[in-house]
Amino acid sequence: MGRLQRAQFGLSMLALVAFGAVFGVLPAALYLLPHFDRVDLFGIPLSLWILVVPMPPIFLAIGWLYARRADALDDSFRDLVDR
Amino acid sequence: MIALLAVGAVTLGTLGLGTWGVRFVRTTSDLLVASRAVTPWWNAAAISGEYLSAASFLGIAGLEMQVGASALWQSLGFTAGYLALLLFVAAPLRRYGSYTIPDFAEARLHSPAIRLLAAAIVLVIGGFYLVPQLKGAGLALNVVIGSPYWVGVAVVAVIVAINVSIGGMRGITYVQAFQFWLKLFAIAVPICLLLIHFGGLPERSALFGEQFPHAGASPITIRLSSPQLVEFPQAGSFTVAGGAFVHVSAGKSVTLPANVAVRIPAGGIVPVAQGTQALRGSRWSRPIGGTGEGAPLLVYSLLIATFLGTMGLPHVLVRFYTNPDGHAARRTTVRVLGLLSLFYLFPSLYGAMGRALTPQLYTTGQTDDVVLTLPHAAWPGTAGTILTAVTCAGAFAAFLSTSSGLLVSIAGTLSHDVWPKVRHSVPSGVATRRRHFRTAAAGAMVIPALIALVARQVDISILVGWAFAIAASTFCPLFLLGIWWTGLTARGAACGMVVGTLIATSAIFVGLALGEPTSGALALLQQPAIVSVPVAFLTMITVSLTDRHRIPDVDAQMVALHAPEGLGLRLADEVDTSLGASERA
Repeated sequence: MGRLQRAQFGLSMLALVAFGAVFGVLPAALYLLPHFDRVDLFGIPLSLWILVVPMPPIFLAIGWLYARRADALDDSFRDLVDR
Repeated sequence: MIALLAVGAVTLGTLGLGTWGVRFVRTTSDLLVASRAVTPWWNAAAISGEYLSAASFLGIAGLEMQVGASALWQSLGFTAGYLALLLFVAAPLRRYGSYTIPDFAEARLHSPAIRLLAAAIVLVIGGFYLVPQLKGAGLALNVVIGSPYWVGVAVVAVIVAINVSIGGMRGITYVQAFQFWLKLFAIAVPICLLLIHFGGLPERSALFGEQFPHAGASPITIRLSSPQLVEFPQAGSFTVAGGAFVHVSAGKSVTLPANVAVRIPAGGIVPVAQGTQALRGSRWSRPIGGTGEGAPLLVYSLLIATFLGTMGLPHVLVRFYTNPDGHAARRTTVRVLGLLSLFYLFPSLYGAMGRALTPQLYTTGQTDDVVLTLPHAAWPGTAGTILTAVTCAGAFAAFLSTSSGLLVSIAGTLSHDVWPKVRHSVPSGVATRRRHFRTAAAGAMVIPALIALVARQVDISILVGWAFAIAASTFCPLFLLGIWWTGLTARGAACGMVVGTLIATSAIFVGLALGEPTSGALALLQQPAIVSVPVAFLTMITVSLTDRHRIPDVDAQMVALHAPEGLGLRLADEVDTSLGASERA
């Protein structure tokens, strides 16, 4: 049981690190690289494109992958107990 | 007139469907058994429906008009909060089977005192979250029928209090799910039609902030309801009641009179109300940088508050128990992420277009109105009137669903958690409990309504940010440590929550007293999460480590939180939880 909990926690932390690596550093990156604000794409600054377009799908992808892995961990624990 | 009809239809429809739905659920079967048939998609729409409030519907666009691109962080943070909920809270909390946050706190830590403390914090968060809903209602009714601000606040406060008291809209999944689709429709369709109408974003240079907000090709007429001190960010001019031009040089302030037509000539610079900002250039179009809302420290503080605060919102969490098991709780949360991502594409478009097409909102100071006034201003005639009616109806759906959900949580907490402790007796009989719930629902609306009247000038999104800051610095550490750490003790949790609440609320009230400073470290008074959350975590951990009163059955607790269903390992088995639910409902 302790092992399942640790595995789940490890998985959650992994997902959190992935999230942090993409979204957590984004404000700092945009702050330190003002270049993104000066480049326009269809009249809209590139930094706004980066914020609006790829971020929500990335959240969704992290969430979806996490949920799949977490359910798989639960299932393998179930198999272990049933056996 | 059309707008009034649309708002009336939404209000009556919501209330009627809710009341009817309650009867329907009661006559068919137990609430919980009925909800077992609810699929993750329905559940996800219901959670999103309850979550999307005045802050999402009106606040983001209003904030964006003032501070520009840095408002986008808010919509991203509101979405990302569900990722934190998914990763750390959703499945374990569903498996644990407590129905409210105070229930969880008492069961996990075996302390009746902590139940009372958690209940008090639920009241604070719920109260803070109700204020912006009522403020939005005041603004919206003003747009719809031109009534004074306080009328809208009073009307929605009374409607919601009565509605919750008579038992309408109580956690009915299908009503809330319907509300989500209504709100999505109401925000997406008008802006898409406007974009088609203009063939893209109009007046691009103004949109991305190269100039200060200014009138378009035709003059703007403004009629203020009270005299307003305004500042001209650039030299400009205006006329009062058709009189001679008054010229004002850059940076100078004048007081505009009320109840007469103030006219800004075509292409003229628009004066900005005191307390409102008009930025331009990179200060508007850069999502981060400089001082004010885009200051890096403030952006991170806001992101922490929204990322960690979502899990502590009382009205949202309750919805997770309509999931049949932990697996479904995870699947529901992933779908919520998808639905919210879709919704949050749209509010920022209103803010960007509003800057170009409804610059008079800078003069009135009510930029929170932009979603409601933009369609009509941008597209005069019947089309614009109908689209304004649509956004007004969506806004009312947002106030009604969120404030009803909040008030149910508050009244439930007052009558279920606080009252028995104060009177040292559990009220007996369904009728008595029902009466307490009704009294609580009516009473709990008074204080938020009064605050809403005072806080008229504070932006909706800032008001909501406070609720998130308090939730992130109290319930977030309680959940994260309570679910994943065996060492948490009752005293540690209590100290952490008290410290978190104190830091967050005192920062907010000091900020209010100082008139919302926006520069330097003082800006953190507006959003204190970056300080209060780590301090709350540290307090909880250190006090727990030095506390000798360990939780005796912590291993069994961890099994209840983390063991998958269907193995016969769990403390709280299915029968117990469904009994608890029917008793509360």
